[in-house]
Amino acid sequence: MTIEQKFTDLINADIDGDISAADKDELQAFLGDNAEGRALHDELASLCDTLNGVEQEAPPPYMRHIIMNSVPPTQGKEESPGFLQILLATPALKYSVTFAAGVILTLSMLNSNQISHRTFDAVTGLVGTVAEPVETTFAHSISLSETDIAGTVSLRSAGSIIILDFDLVSADHIEVQADYTDKTIWFNGFAQLESEGTTVSAETGQVRLTMEEGKRRYAVYLQNKGARNTTINLRFLADGRVVHQAKLDYAPED
Amino acid sequence: MSKTDDTKLIERCISGDRQAFEALLAEYEKPVYNAAYRMLNNRDDARDVTQTVFLKVFQNFGQYDPSRRFFSWIYRITLNESINWLGKANRLEPLAFEAADEGKGPEQEFESARVSATVQAALMTINTDYRTVVILKHFLGCSYVEIGEILELPEKTVKSRLYTARQHLKDELTDQGL
Repeated sequence: MTIEQKFTDLINADIDGDISAADKDELQAFLGDNAEGRALHDELASLCDTLNGVEQEAPPPYMRHIIMNSVPPTQGKEESPGFLQILLATPALKYSVTFAAGVILTLSMLNSNQISHRTFDAVTGLVGTVAEPVETTFAHSISLSETDIAGTVSLRSAGSIIILDFDLVSADHIEVQADYTDKTIWFNGFAQLESEGTTVSAETGQVRLTMEEGKRRYAVYLQNKGARNTTINLRFLADGRVVHQAKLDYAPED
Repeated sequence: MSKTDDTKLIERCISGDRQAFEALLAEYEKPVYNAAYRMLNNRDDARDVTQTVFLKVFQNFGQYDPSRRFFSWIYRITLNESINWLGKANRLEPLAFEAADEGKGPEQEFESARVSATVQAALMTINTDYRTVVILKHFLGCSYVEIGEILELPEKTVKSRLYTARQHLKDELTDQGL
């Protein structure tokens, strides 16, 4: 026996709580006499409970970050400042502590013959004492949108210093390798902004960073004394597996 | 979030306030992503559609009619983008309905994940007209009136589609032992 469409509609309306008192009475009378109708009511009610009970999927943790990075700067707003500007626009002490920790860690991991103490002093000075904003020149940036890692890395310069500005979100522990073939370029320092989840080590021609899960903002300073054209090759690894590769080009302004 | 709250945020977005946009994003990221995922049955595609939706929202605030509720606008964009995405996918290759069985990881050991995957597989057996009303009703919690507003359909048509969709889903889930 087929249930009349009218009663099928009333059953659905009843389940959704969208039924008038008169229709409800009519439905009850129908269900009282009709076992098939009662079975359909139970089955549809169970279906709706199942559908309503399905858990929502959590969006990827880095998606919000990617979306915010993908929307263009809005009218009347200045472009998002670089890492160094942020660093210098806030009380220097806050960051100098972080920076000092990065430098100490770096020094402990570096071969001493790679370090120019003079330039280290200069960078430390920038962070700790300079009151006026330092002019940086934007050169190049790349975006990542992988399951494990997402965000942007930009390359800026300030005089002979190249600044790699990392603004990333990772879903897990990530290793970042930055290789530069020009051996006249030295690793010159490291700083991180409002987070402590990133560590750094360096050797000739390469800086390695390890970042923990979450949103991280940090910068690597390279000394390019000869103001040479160079390319920084970046590799992002999760569990030893390369999940993204990119390169950043730098050419000094004439 | 109330309509008033949304309207205030949108006014701030139009004036160039990125923080306001991030607040809207925080509010609607999850429902938009879930609507796209239930339409497309693929998390990567849902992620891409969600990004596209928010970019379109950002670029088209000027076209938003403040007399309407913001969610009806963004959900409509989401469903249209998802349907467009399905169209592109269909031109390349047939939809693989068995893809609902994706992710045979540990989470599938849990009952809720099994139910979710089974429901998703059933959803993919009904056409997009029916799927959209089910998603709006049961996954986004919209009323008949709101669904009608989003899809620009008479309430009677919304009910008719929903009831038919439920019948199909009931039969499909019974076949799958749920």
